[in-house]
Amino acid sequence: MLSSGERVVVEALLPSGGGAGIPLGALDSGFESFHEEFERAAPPAMRWGLKAAFLAAFWLSPLLIRRLPPLGRLCPTERERALEAMGRSRLYLVRQLFLLLKTALCLHFGAEPRVRAALGWPR
Amino acid sequence: MRIDGARERELESGFDFVIVGSGAAGASAARVLADSGASVAVVEEGPAVARSEFTDKAFPSFRRLFRGMAAQAATGPAIIPVLQGRCLGGSTVVNSAIVWRLPEDAWRPWRDEHGLGEALPLAELHELWDLIERELRVSPTPPAIWGRFNALMDAGARRLNASAAPTRRYAADCRGSAQCLTGCPHGAKQSMAESYLPYAESKGATVLVDAEVERVELSGARAEGVLGRFNGPGRPRFRLRARRGVLLAASAVQTPLILAASGIDSPHLGRHFQAHPGCAMIGLFEEPIAMWRGATQGFDCDAWRESGRFKIETISLPPELVLARLPGAGRRWLESMREYPHAAIWAVQLRAWAEGSVRPGLFGPRLRYALGPRDLMNLRRGLRLTAELFFAAGAKAVLPGVYGLPERLVPGEAWRLEHAPEDPACYAMILAHLFGTARMSPRAAGGVVGPDFAVRGVDGLYVVDSSVFPTNIGVNPQHTIMAVAMLAARRLIGS
Repeated sequence: MLSSGERVVVEALLPSGGGAGIPLGALDSGFESFHEEFERAAPPAMRWGLKAAFLAAFWLSPLLIRRLPPLGRLCPTERERALEAMGRSRLYLVRQLFLLLKTALCLHFGAEPRVRAALGWPR
Repeated sequence: MRIDGARERELESGFDFVIVGSGAAGASAARVLADSGASVAVVEEGPAVARSEFTDKAFPSFRRLFRGMAAQAATGPAIIPVLQGRCLGGSTVVNSAIVWRLPEDAWRPWRDEHGLGEALPLAELHELWDLIERELRVSPTPPAIWGRFNALMDAGARRLNASAAPTRRYAADCRGSAQCLTGCPHGAKQSMAESYLPYAESKGATVLVDAEVERVELSGARAEGVLGRFNGPGRPRFRLRARRGVLLAASAVQTPLILAASGIDSPHLGRHFQAHPGCAMIGLFEEPIAMWRGATQGFDCDAWRESGRFKIETISLPPELVLARLPGAGRRWLESMREYPHAAIWAVQLRAWAEGSVRPGLFGPRLRYALGPRDLMNLRRGLRLTAELFFAAGAKAVLPGVYGLPERLVPGEAWRLEHAPEDPACYAMILAHLFGTARMSPRAAGGVVGPDFAVRGVDGLYVVDSSVFPTNIGVNPQHTIMAVAMLAARRLIGS
């Protein structure tokens, strides 16, 4: 089960209700149940990596835009800025954690039939 | 006969040959040995996945078909995913079935620098390629199933006057459903699970699946068979005796680990780990591309294969794997996703000079790998030319995915790629096509196996996969792996 902090991160990355023609976000497309399956199935390094990525996103990313953590204190626009700053960090590990977060979300989100339909995917 | 380890109890049995691994090497060796009338067992660590179980979704496919859920990685200055199939048929189930004969310029160092001209004669390899191409109905990807992302590479290469062609593949009946990576649901791709393994079974071979070999059983200096465990409940043991030989064909990662676990000692074992790093770039077009229509990898450009040590290939990926590469977070990320239908992906496949290592680790194989300055120079050049190909094909922008460069480059800005950082950690790469970890050498001190494919100092133990390749080859290796394994099997029958 996602912690409240992890939910904040997921919501900031792919907000519920979607946008730009994508009809939904991660949580309202069932990311939570995917996450449980991921926790059961993924190799230890990947599970720990994702936990570390959530922690870094929640506690570290605000510092990258000179705001006090945690991420939940920030307004939605600043949350997005903080997370994007992870992707631009000079620290390779921080960039990798951000990529891992996006990858884990997309393993669920990109397979969601309504998302695929919005992208034009025929199946 | 098929023995499914997920339901098996303890097993003890004997064969002429026991082959560890059911991918390109193992299945090709099995095809030749079973044809000769020898009794053969093929042992596969992963499950047998029926065609009807394939899905176009990445996560279930990664779980079922790939080693370590496709999260196995080599570490060094950068963390690089190492993709390997782990199912009946090995990586041939999840690759794009691309056929390349080993070019003479790539074979020459085997002859001239490594003294393997007689052990791996090009003429005999060509004879075997003729056979394989007939049996697996190899043909170039026809224009009808190119799709836009393949056709545009043709257009771009023509404008740049660069050599490019539709890939030749083991998929004569391909429908262009862009699902090679997650397993062909139509059975058009002639993976080993669709071709040589059923053939070997029809000739009496026994295939064990969900059966992990732990080590080769040695009696003095003679390989007696293999010991392992099934992946079913309680992990029951199995023991297979080999009267004439044990053939390791478990890949350049697993083969050296099995040898090490069996007590084989060589300064070359697990060293000289080589690969073809791949680095993908997204091109954005005004016109719809619809990456889901077309042969997964239907076109490649080999114009700089010799001079630059790289090839440029098209590839179609499912949304899961593309969306994560698109820039942004939150609303900006969702905005980027709208471009997915207009995106094409082309990738540089680098013939790297780098050599790494494979060692046993606490949680599985420990892979070390680091690209050097020469490789990074070639990679940057490859990325620049990929961008130029994209722009020549009409792309309005490319997303280079390189840290230190702008998110988007527009026509006229491809040059920036050649000035990208000289740090492997700035590039998003994957490693595929793995070689060299139990290399062949005519000199006892030069490698792990001799020119007869036998592990030095042990009777009846052979390595027949790409672990024996003394160098990487710069082209998709399945065809070469198959021919080399068949060559080894022929020699074993002869001996």
